[in-house]
Amino acid sequence: MVALVIALALFFDFTNGFHDTANAMATPIATGAIKPKTAVALAAVLNLVGAFLSTEVAKTISGGLIREGSDGIHITPDIIFAGLMGAVLWNMITWLKGLPSSSSHALFGGLIGAAVVGIGFHSINFETVLQKVILPAIFAPLIAGLVAYICTRLAYALTSRHDPETGDKLTQKRGGFRTGQIFTSSLVALAHGTNDAQKTMGIITLVLIAGGTQAPGSGPQFWVIAACAFAIAIGTYAGGWRIIRTMGSGLTEVKPAQGFSAETSTASAILASSHLGFALSTTQVASGSVIGSGLGRKGTSVRWGTAGKIALGWLFTLPASAIVGALTALLVSIGVVGVIIAAVVGTAAVLFMFVVSRKSHVGHHNAVEVEEAGHAVRFRKKKKSRKTTPSEDVQR
Amino acid sequence: MKWLELLQVAGVTLVAAVTLVVLYSLGVRLTAIAGDAQQKSPVLVRSLAYVCFAVCAAAVLFGIYLIVPYFGK
Repeated sequence: MVALVIALALFFDFTNGFHDTANAMATPIATGAIKPKTAVALAAVLNLVGAFLSTEVAKTISGGLIREGSDGIHITPDIIFAGLMGAVLWNMITWLKGLPSSSSHALFGGLIGAAVVGIGFHSINFETVLQKVILPAIFAPLIAGLVAYICTRLAYALTSRHDPETGDKLTQKRGGFRTGQIFTSSLVALAHGTNDAQKTMGIITLVLIAGGTQAPGSGPQFWVIAACAFAIAIGTYAGGWRIIRTMGSGLTEVKPAQGFSAETSTASAILASSHLGFALSTTQVASGSVIGSGLGRKGTSVRWGTAGKIALGWLFTLPASAIVGALTALLVSIGVVGVIIAAVVGTAAVLFMFVVSRKSHVGHHNAVEVEEAGHAVRFRKKKKSRKTTPSEDVQR
Repeated sequence: MKWLELLQVAGVTLVAAVTLVVLYSLGVRLTAIAGDAQQKSPVLVRSLAYVCFAVCAAAVLFGIYLIVPYFGK
């Protein structure tokens, strides 16, 4: 059972990785700051590094959400297995739909659902749920969106150049923002690595402690850290192109200055929140930033239909993964047969969604769009090299 | 409820992001000015631009410093 849970946890880490590549890399890919393949590779490396850098979050994960210990309630590997199942399936569904949704919320939802069935309603600390999950979900996009809006306005105001005599528009020369995007998006990727790989480490450590193979209160072991780091890095490299497409071009058209503002806001919001103790979801912050930067530039329209779909996805994240988690917990409570059924059904569902994604992979011309972005980059690069100085790169 | 913390996060986010973006935008603007043909002292303007970029880089490094708990202790 413990081995099964660890395998599932690592798979969750993988889905988390490719789900969240978009947060850091969608905007630089959309503006052509980095080539798509390079971008996901960069994000993967930074996630790997980030996962090794810090294990602080891993020690506190799941703390408080489910009342443990003193009341005699213990989280068993069964419940964690069920919770993970809910999270993984929800991650796959949202990926199939190309919706950026919070992997941590899916995890929380799955664990809550599993705990309610496996232990009972009294096991859930609803005040903590409200404080840790629901309120941040409302405020994260609002804060990030507002900040990104202000930043975009400022960036454009500061770099808009008019001829003092005629009042004509000069070449704006905002190409420098594209270089800046590389750094800001890298910071987002690194922050993501230090945050999200920790969640899986925390889960595996929890299982090991629950299974009696590790002393309570101790930190994650090295092989756990390494396995999680690699799982999230591989997932990131696999790249959730569907979600990247939604974030990069589905919400609004992103120009370098906008992308830079959005990423700066995302990075600041994540860093500020993780250091002042009010955890915000990376995904929600990033989506909010993109929308905010879209509002900030004149002549850009935000596709509210897509934004609405994403918001709807967030609304369903918690209950949907909770239901899957609860159902799995029911199955698991039957016994060994139930565990096998749950594992087989889960694997089948994941495989099924993967097959479906392969079909629409061609139908939606997903890959083509990414390739087009790659061509655009190469084209711009050529243009750049023909000119004498990089600063003459005309703002597009 | 942790309203104070929420407000704090919002405030810090705003200040940090705006500072970075303003500095970087200034850098971009100054680089553009330095590239203008009729500019008299492009070297001065360009070095000012580099100062802006350097402060930005420092801010990003500070961000990394915040992420890594090893430095925080």
